Amino acid sequence: MKRILILKIFIISCISASSQGLKIDASYEYLYAYQLDKVIQTYNFSRPFEKEKQPLLSNGINTSISYIFKNEKQIKHGLNFAYSFFQSAAENENFNNNLNLHFINLGYFIHYENTEKWKGFYSDLIFSGTSSIMLRNVNGEPYVYDNINAKAFGIGGTVRLKLGYSSAWKNNRCFSPFIAFAYTPYLYAPNNERIINQTKGLTSNNWTAIGMVQIGLTFHIRKQEQ
Amino acid sequence: MERRHFLRQATLVSIGGILIPSTFLTSCRKETLLEDVKYEGKVLIIGAGAAGLYAAYILKSKGINFQILEASANYGGRLGKLNTFANFPIDLGAQWLHGKNSILGDLITKSNTQITIDESVTKYWFNNQLVTTLPQNIDIFNGEDLPDISYSDYALQKGLGKEYKYIIENIAGDQGASASRLSVFGNNQEEENWSSGDDDFKFQETFYDLIDQEIAGEVKDKIVLNTIVSKIDYSQAEIILTDSTNNYFKADKVIITVPIPILKSGDIEFTPPLPKEKTTAFSKIGMDAGMKVFLKFSTKFYDQNIVGGTICAAYADESIGKVQNDNVLLAFVMGEQAEYLTALANNDAITKALLQELDMMYNGQATQSFISSHVQNWTTNPFIKGAYSYSKIGIGDARKIACQSINQKVYFAGEAMNTNGHHQTVHGAVETGYREVINLLNDIQK
Repeated sequence: MKRILILKIFIISCISASSQGLKIDASYEYLYAYQLDKVIQTYNFSRPFEKEKQPLLSNGINTSISYIFKNEKQIKHGLNFAYSFFQSAAENENFNNNLNLHFINLGYFIHYENTEKWKGFYSDLIFSGTSSIMLRNVNGEPYVYDNINAKAFGIGGTVRLKLGYSSAWKNNRCFSPFIAFAYTPYLYAPNNERIINQTKGLTSNNWTAIGMVQIGLTFHIRKQEQ
Repeated sequence: MERRHFLRQATLVSIGGILIPSTFLTSCRKETLLEDVKYEGKVLIIGAGAAGLYAAYILKSKGINFQILEASANYGGRLGKLNTFANFPIDLGAQWLHGKNSILGDLITKSNTQITIDESVTKYWFNNQLVTTLPQNIDIFNGEDLPDISYSDYALQKGLGKEYKYIIENIAGDQGASASRLSVFGNNQEEENWSSGDDDFKFQETFYDLIDQEIAGEVKDKIVLNTIVSKIDYSQAEIILTDSTNNYFKADKVIITVPIPILKSGDIEFTPPLPKEKTTAFSKIGMDAGMKVFLKFSTKFYDQNIVGGTICAAYADESIGKVQNDNVLLAFVMGEQAEYLTALANNDAITKALLQELDMMYNGQATQSFISSHVQNWTTNPFIKGAYSYSKIGIGDARKIACQSINQKVYFAGEAMNTNGHHQTVHGAVETGYREVINLLNDIQK
């Protein structure tokens, strides 16, 4: 209850400040990262003792919140915060191996909506800083060595293009389905290989490029028009 | 069309539009490297140590025809087991798992192999007495801007005088080298990619058992023992190997996993000769003498670790991590100290020299309670000729050059060929085993 109350206060205060509104997304996300694929493929190649292969990191979920600044023009802008989660799980006798990849994006976005020509359709172009963390779980426990949890951090930048269609507004609220394409040209994550394949410099570079496609639903909240 | 209707349809089409392609794309992305590569040729592996056994294990999993030629009467390379000396099994070769974050760490979890962190306490033999701490910091060999000079010279530069000689000898001995030959810069540079962790583990049973049961067990039937390969002719499409009794073996690809001294000393003749660049690279990789002497006593008068002896710079209580507890002390002798002991008349003389040193440290208790000894001298083994590889002064990129394949026919594996910081280790050898199978299959694809 406390959390919901805090969230409500946050949303109301955002809207009543200088914002035009808020957008909250939930989506399915498909990921492709050549270097990550290569490390997992090497892991699978090198471990015949694991009958069930480790799936590639490809399917995940994403949620984001966007804060739109007050602006009467067709082009608006705002801030966006997004979180994505991808998991790869393989169950073998005595050895259940999970790789959990989390992304956090914090960025600026430009919102374009031509209400006369393309009623309801809009696009968002989001530029964000990206940070990632890769974690490993073995047999249900966080994987620990040298008394610390195994983890690999990454940092980079992402550009995301989102295309959506807004349904009719009711009480200044509406839903819109959207599709988005994201590209991270450079994610510096030198220890991903260390977590996945337990090596460093054997199979991959210390960075990777990532492509993502999203499909989901946005919930818009608009500030009451005067 | 109503807006609501349109929205519903658009959502469904979009979901279908993304999920169907994503499922298709996921299925296009192979889970395993080189999944579709088929190879009908024959691969010969020279050496049945950890690298050779693992390369064979991978080849078997890919359904590729292979055979292992092993010079000695046993497989395992620098792994070995002694069952009868004490009431617990003893590793004659590699016995510590250096870090759990490795492919062998996974195999240990998978196979429920019992290991424990070696947290034994060290005492130093310093200025003719056993002490728990040293007056000066000896942790000086890691960091930036280190010079390409020997450990012993660098220690002197840093103000560690002659009284630290055998303490430094122990640090270098961990790397399988004499302090006067191991490069400060080279070793630090090569270990930059070390990723398996810093904890050392001991096996309740033995390291040998892990490799024997989980890896060698899969490929034992393909090992030909007592086969000393003396010639490799790779001048034709088909590679011809000749052994010391003039038997011929034919193959399409060869993976060489022999220790670096065998390659350096020319025990295997190559036709055509190996490129100069490669033989030079071999010569830049060091491998010093090494031996393990197990001393059994009636009482445990000694400390868990004793560092800094002039005859042996590192003694360790062998019973740590074992279920039973016979009093066995390991003398882990490397580099110049191993050369000195090897030059003595016989194993009794080696044992006597070590007992004399221990008597000095522990007021004659060693000789009083001595029962028996076992000497495992890896230096005098003609198919090993030393301990493990180390970074000689001026090593540079020698390992990277040394491990490059020749004419897409001859491949090099083994701990000395590990270029990702795990040389000197069993998991490092294993990594080169699968790495070379990847290289071999990549070449086939070209």
